[in-house]
Amino acid sequence: MLEAIVSGFWQVLAWPAFGYLLLGILIGFWVGLLPGIGGLATLAMMLPFSYTIKTPIEAFCFLLGMLAVTGTTGDLTSILFGIPGEGSSAALILDGYPMSKKGEAGRALGAAIMSSVVGATIGALSLALSIPIMRPLVLLFGSPELFIITIMGVTFIGTLAGASLIKGLLAGGVGLMLAAIGVDPQTGSLRYTFGSLYLWDRLDIVPVTVGLFAIPEIVDLAVRGTSISQVPRGKLSGVMEGVKDTFRHWWLVFRCSLIGVYFGILPVLGANIAQWIAYAHAVQGLKDRSRAGKGAVEGVLGPGCANNSTRGGDLIPTIAFGIPGSASMALLLGAMLIVGLQPGPEMLKSRLDVTFAMVWILIISNIIVAGICFLILNHLAALTFVRGSLLIPFLLFLVFIGSFTTNNSIYDLVVTIIFGLLGYFMVLYGWPRPPLILGLILGKIGENYLWISTAAYGAKWLLFPSVLALIAVTIIVVAYPTIKERRRRARYERPEDAI
Amino acid sequence: MKSEKCKMDRVNSLILTFAICVLHFAFVRELQAQAPFYQGKNITIVVGTKAGDVYDLYARAIAQYIPKYIPGNPNIIAQNIAGAGSLIAANQVYNVAKPDGLTLGAIFPALYFDQLSGRTEVKFDWTKFTWIGSPTVSNHFIYMRADTPYKTIDDVRNAKEPPKCGSTGTASTGYYMPKLFEELIGSKFNIITGYQSGGDIDLAVERGEVICRSFTITAYFAREPFHTWRKKGFVRELFQTGKKRDPRLPSVPTIYELMDKYKTPESGRRLATVILAAGDVGRPYVAPPGVPADRVKILRDAFMKTMNDPEFKADAEKRMLELDPVSGEELEALAKEVIAQPPDIVERMKKVLGQ
Repeated sequence: MLEAIVSGFWQVLAWPAFGYLLLGILIGFWVGLLPGIGGLATLAMMLPFSYTIKTPIEAFCFLLGMLAVTGTTGDLTSILFGIPGEGSSAALILDGYPMSKKGEAGRALGAAIMSSVVGATIGALSLALSIPIMRPLVLLFGSPELFIITIMGVTFIGTLAGASLIKGLLAGGVGLMLAAIGVDPQTGSLRYTFGSLYLWDRLDIVPVTVGLFAIPEIVDLAVRGTSISQVPRGKLSGVMEGVKDTFRHWWLVFRCSLIGVYFGILPVLGANIAQWIAYAHAVQGLKDRSRAGKGAVEGVLGPGCANNSTRGGDLIPTIAFGIPGSASMALLLGAMLIVGLQPGPEMLKSRLDVTFAMVWILIISNIIVAGICFLILNHLAALTFVRGSLLIPFLLFLVFIGSFTTNNSIYDLVVTIIFGLLGYFMVLYGWPRPPLILGLILGKIGENYLWISTAAYGAKWLLFPSVLALIAVTIIVVAYPTIKERRRRARYERPEDAI
Repeated sequence: MKSEKCKMDRVNSLILTFAICVLHFAFVRELQAQAPFYQGKNITIVVGTKAGDVYDLYARAIAQYIPKYIPGNPNIIAQNIAGAGSLIAANQVYNVAKPDGLTLGAIFPALYFDQLSGRTEVKFDWTKFTWIGSPTVSNHFIYMRADTPYKTIDDVRNAKEPPKCGSTGTASTGYYMPKLFEELIGSKFNIITGYQSGGDIDLAVERGEVICRSFTITAYFAREPFHTWRKKGFVRELFQTGKKRDPRLPSVPTIYELMDKYKTPESGRRLATVILAAGDVGRPYVAPPGVPADRVKILRDAFMKTMNDPEFKADAEKRMLELDPVSGEELEALAKEVIAQPPDIVERMKKVLGQ
């Protein structure tokens, strides 16, 4: 085993593998920064180029290296401009962008990048450590449990992300309803499509997310007439402060990384969902919950590490069973076959060095990209002090290009504008936006699992111990802050009662 | 006079200039017409499954090799539009894509069932698709977890509780193959639909949520987890749909043997023919109706040439993609044959499809 670990490490650093890794990082860096074009689409585009690469490790250096850094650089766009750089970076807007507004962009970026490196490392180590227990880990949850997890996700975010519990849950419900638009996955019947073929494919997450989060911020920036940062440019330190924050909250970062890993392992769920759960978890732990959404660094650290640690988790079902755990892994699996590697349990015996090389690629690529980021971070943070009127055209361009490139459909722009308007009014009237997005993402997944659970087990699945346990966890997590709040209030009120 | 001649000259030179211009433009247009249509263009293959599915692997392999046989060597892009058993992709190709020969679809071979049973979601006429070709015919089979009491198809027939099989939707073989056996020889299956992909079903089988799945023999011998499963004896195969037993499954009975054994009546056999025709269609590539005939010919020729390309064959073997190509002309004939069915067969087919 030790031999394979060392051999994997040197194979990644050997030439030309390392060259491919740098090339992958370079592409992934830009793909992550630009909104819309995601890691998955880029992986699909780059796959044919990897056909010419001869050895598996060189191919993975290119493909996996690219995929690994998109999550990290996507965080930067979310924090600086309030525009999600990647679908899996949207949660960083919630507290990262307010930090930029407070003039703390440097600190937020430092925290995001450092937590990404830590998250990626924990994800990669989990991959290595879980090799003996991979199978039970993947098989632990069946369709009924996965259905409850989807409901849990919407509930967590609905109750934790906003000030009002009712508004949060309602927004989550609206998200679930929006998820019903399109072709029903079981029978192929059409729902709420109103004769439009565009709506057959369901609402795409990217234009909805970009519209919902970015447009209101741009409008706000235009109305304010200042730079993104509302405080004048002082000394641009803070980056190291963010790095320190990561280690100050090491226990939170560790837990959120594990959340990411497990969502990576579970089929269908992934970084897009893990980031929100991690955010909810981070916010829930705040001593003063009113800080959430106003630039709490914990809200950056949580999703920052979780969306990177999922990559390690993603690889687990791919290696344990030869069954891809996510769409991007399905593409990687194709690449494995092409370079003559049969993904699956056989890999753990015959090509353990390749498995460890993948672990090393995840770690090394994130360290390299963090290094690059720290070099240019101050320049990036300086963008938040540029006058808004100079920045807005550029941001709008990013927003619309980002929406358009996902499907090359003009309707995506319409969706962006509609959800931009919706987002604006949601902000205006104090409705939280994350539950809506998560409802939209989880609606489809949840529907499938509900259907399968009922078809396979009738109503019996409702009484499975694992299902009951998950329901109990959901209730506890939702009720706990409320109870805590009541107790706190009771404690304060007691002296008065005594009088 | 002089001035008149001068005028004539001027008129002549004007006419000459004009003539040169006309000739020039005509020539340029001629040149443009001679440049191959596909030069500098992109062809999109709309794949009706998620990335990584066998349909997708075929599409991406073909996308890599077919350009060299298309004059003008266009770029080929594979785009995944998954869902509803590729019905979405088929509708998209038929209705949204322009019939310019720049969009192809890689769709399920069984979508004609939905048309025959008159489903309103079907926005295409199967016979009017422009058929390009299919890289392979696909015979099906069913695997069953070996640790269950269903050792043979007879056990399924005699079982009190039918085994649960996973499927992605009613238009997938995972759904209708077991149902066909139920109709022909009375072996009941409980089909659970709603899984996102074949891989999700295989995971559910590992968990024991469902215990069987019907799909192509090709995929079963092409990739994990099936290599491991076969080696460990995790599953056994209960039936196969080819006319003859597949050499890799020598002890698994075919549907025809089973129909003989259980004396399936003639109408049942006709039903089997209609439904199993999907296997003969294989993994078809289609274009929207009304693609200009010269481009159809280019695409069909390129397709068959690709199938016989030694490099492609070697690469397909490396990727474990089986090749047994069917030409566009054959597919077109098959499409017309299956759509022309009497109402009683259509009714029984609908029953098999759970409608």
